[in-house]
Amino acid sequence: MAEDLVLDTAIRDWVLIPLTVVMILIGILRYFVSKLMQSQPTPDAKVVKEGQVVVRARNLRAGANFIPAKSFRARRAYFSNEENGLLHVPKGQGQNPQAQMFSDPNMAMDMMKKNLSMIIPQTLTFAWVNFFFSGFVAAKIPFPLTQRFRSMLQNGIDLSTVDVSYVSSRSWYFLNLFGLRGLFSLILGEENAMDDTQRMMQMGGFGFDPTKVQT
Amino acid sequence: MAGHGESEKKSSDAVNDLQTFRAENLQSNMKVIYYSRTFLSIIGGVIAGILGFTGLTGFVFYFLMMAITSVALIAKAKFSIHTYFDSWNRVLLDGFLGGLMSFVLFWTFAYDIVHIF
Repeated sequence: MAEDLVLDTAIRDWVLIPLTVVMILIGILRYFVSKLMQSQPTPDAKVVKEGQVVVRARNLRAGANFIPAKSFRARRAYFSNEENGLLHVPKGQGQNPQAQMFSDPNMAMDMMKKNLSMIIPQTLTFAWVNFFFSGFVAAKIPFPLTQRFRSMLQNGIDLSTVDVSYVSSRSWYFLNLFGLRGLFSLILGEENAMDDTQRMMQMGGFGFDPTKVQT
Repeated sequence: MAGHGESEKKSSDAVNDLQTFRAENLQSNMKVIYYSRTFLSIIGGVIAGILGFTGLTGFVFYFLMMAITSVALIAKAKFSIHTYFDSWNRVLLDGFLGGLMSFVLFWTFAYDIVHIF
């Protein structure tokens, strides 16, 4: 178990490097495809207006300590008095974002497109890796790991005597999938990296109003 | 080396001790931190792989790299963190774990290409 495996240099040239390069190129391709498929949202005048009011109110709150108490109160009344304050929404008229989402088919469509542009390339690449590169010991991670990681790192080769730090080609694909995110955010701009986490947030807190987020 | 985007200085009131932050500027500063950390972790991974670090040495190298990044960022902010960020954790810890994955990948990649085959 201790002696080193000798790996053929052909594996490096025809498995390790192509796999990584393809992963990077597919990531870039996916970015541009999803950019093409994105429909430009047409801003609704009412929504923009409401958003600006919220921003103004937030600025007032942030700067509350820099203006006299009297002027703060006057501004607060302007925003939130009971009859005609800008932020005052009469009871029962507030639309909850979930209903809004379902009433607007574009939004659901957009989300589906995003998800599809995510899932399809991943499935295809995985199938491609499985088809071409199954069963190679492609790499060796430079640090020791315990036996528990065997199923994670040697996915696709069933040899229990090989040292755990050797990585099969399929697992190298998974390592790439997670590790290349940082590289993509560098070469494609931050939208790409933020996309995943933002979508996750959207999914997680479904009935959560982004305008209510306090900075 | 670190911090390409120029961070805008927020107005700090000399008379009043209260701190105000503009959310946009703060966000742009944090983005700079995220970029420099990612960049440094990728470069660090390649360097660690080429030098042939294994085991704990590599992780120590990563910690060292991140410490250097933090010092560089602090120097970039002219040693007055609170002018640009709302807490020290932003400079010292943000993006630390996110960079680790990239580091491990590029470390493995460079190490395999140079040393294994």
